[in-house]
Amino acid sequence: MKAIAKRWWLGAAVAAFAALPWTLGVYHQHILIVSLFYVMMAASWNLLAGYTGQVSFGHAAFAGIGAYASGILAVKAGVNPWIGVAAGTLLAAVFGFLLGILCLKLGGIYLSLTTLGFSEILHIVINNEYEITRGTMGLQVPGLIAEYSKLAYFYIFLAAALVTLAVVHRLIHANIGLNFRAVQNDERAAAALGVDVVRVRVLAFTVSSALAGMAGALYGHYLLLITPQIPSLDQQFLVLSMTVIGGLGSFAGPIIGAFGLEILSEYIRAYGEYHVLAFGLVALIVARFAPRGVVGIWNGWRARRDLARAAGAAP
Amino acid sequence: MFALALTNGLVIGIVYALTALGVSLVVGIMNVINFAHGEFYILAGYFSYLFAHTLGMDPLAAMLIAVAGVFVLGLVVEYTLIRPTYGDDMYSLILTFILSIVLQSIYLLVFGPYPNKPPGWVKGATDIFGLFFYGNQRLAALGAGVAVIALFFAMLKLTWFGRMIRAASQDREMAELNGIDTTRLNMFGFGLGCALAAAAGVILAPVFPVTPTAGTPIALTAFVCVVLGGMGSMSGCVLGGLVLGVVENLGAAYVSTGYKHLFMFLILILVLLIRPAGLFGRREA
Repeated sequence: MKAIAKRWWLGAAVAAFAALPWTLGVYHQHILIVSLFYVMMAASWNLLAGYTGQVSFGHAAFAGIGAYASGILAVKAGVNPWIGVAAGTLLAAVFGFLLGILCLKLGGIYLSLTTLGFSEILHIVINNEYEITRGTMGLQVPGLIAEYSKLAYFYIFLAAALVTLAVVHRLIHANIGLNFRAVQNDERAAAALGVDVVRVRVLAFTVSSALAGMAGALYGHYLLLITPQIPSLDQQFLVLSMTVIGGLGSFAGPIIGAFGLEILSEYIRAYGEYHVLAFGLVALIVARFAPRGVVGIWNGWRARRDLARAAGAAP
Repeated sequence: MFALALTNGLVIGIVYALTALGVSLVVGIMNVINFAHGEFYILAGYFSYLFAHTLGMDPLAAMLIAVAGVFVLGLVVEYTLIRPTYGDDMYSLILTFILSIVLQSIYLLVFGPYPNKPPGWVKGATDIFGLFFYGNQRLAALGAGVAVIALFFAMLKLTWFGRMIRAASQDREMAELNGIDTTRLNMFGFGLGCALAAAAGVILAPVFPVTPTAGTPIALTAFVCVVLGGMGSMSGCVLGGLVLGVVENLGAAYVSTGYKHLFMFLILILVLLIRPAGLFGRREA
């Protein structure tokens, strides 16, 4: 009964959100679209970091792989952008799978090191292969739809974000999701119970990378200009901060973090370069003192309130 | 050309080794990878620039104070950020990654995006066996790097503190049972690790000026050295540093300058594929 009510509320919230851009101007529509991009990025990073305990520093790089693969296909070979997005997603999945097999049997630290290296190398390749990628000038790519309209892009991004969230939700609530959490909580115990630890991790990393590739490819065709900013470490940092501040390892955390930080960063844009520093300090404090983020603080507050009520009811 | 690239490789390799020793030390004692390691290197470069250039101090004194300053900062970072994360490797990864971005943006605000270079110690160049002329500053950097590494190994093998470090890296619980205060050891070990990065920074900054974001490739190189040498092996990571320095410079000379750092990544992939324990690593690691 309660679950059904919850489902209705969720449906109503999504419907209300879907109607929201009709009441907004072009600038605010843009903020919503960028926020949805970050929802995809943060939710898919959280699938890996929050649910299997593996930290990838190459999530932005995988978005870059998706964006550049799709963009280059469209510009050099005239491929339809939608097919390009599919190709970019697939390529990110292949890279994720290969790096995953290489590192994940060795333990978490190796994945973090290798993905950081991967992201640096991708930067070097993009800057050196100037003729193909146009380096820091950026690669001009065609849009996803013939007539540019923010409203249409909003619905494309909303659909993609819902698909991403559905995939994440399905994985963490299916049988394999239990395996995910078992692996994070106690690797050896999980292995002893017959969970193939490496396989679970490689699966999580591949899916997470593919989702980043899809988000990046769509984002590139929305901005119409792909620059090394998409696969940069700053971008990686932003996605990480959104997840950590929102709540690592919770389903709602990355969504709250992505909208919160993106909207906030639009407001403090006037202060320019200070905003990376400000986010960094906030993320540092949250990660240190409230490792479960905003969602963790909220849950803790609710648990204390319920406890106080129970104590009051039964003196 | 070959001899020049080789010499360049050795000079850089020694400094890589020095940076990597700091990472290896911290991994050995507390099983933490400090992703802000490169930022400590950069900070020492900025400090020595600041003290020597702006305050007009003697370059040597400026370097020593810079290293001491970074050591103290390392202690503070361990106490405030790293200590609560023991037992959860993932949190120290996330925290030090955020710290590295915070430090980078502070450098950008304070020093601007331009390269900064502390004054050199010596001038001129020396004729190397009649093959080529080599800058004295680079030779001095090589000498200083070798001296600091020798000093570090002497400390590790001969002093009581070094013995504690070795004991804790081999078996933490056993070390505790023998009365080692591992909490304090962690703190000083982390500080010392940062100080090693700082030593590398002050030695190389007069040759390669520091910029706010130059720390990432340096930290990455140090991590690859550690993996190549074998996690937890100190002598392995010195060898790893030299190998990386030479391969990178030969690659830059004969294959492509733009892809200099690609060789490092290829080495990392090869090590992970063929011998994940590294050159001198323990098998079970």
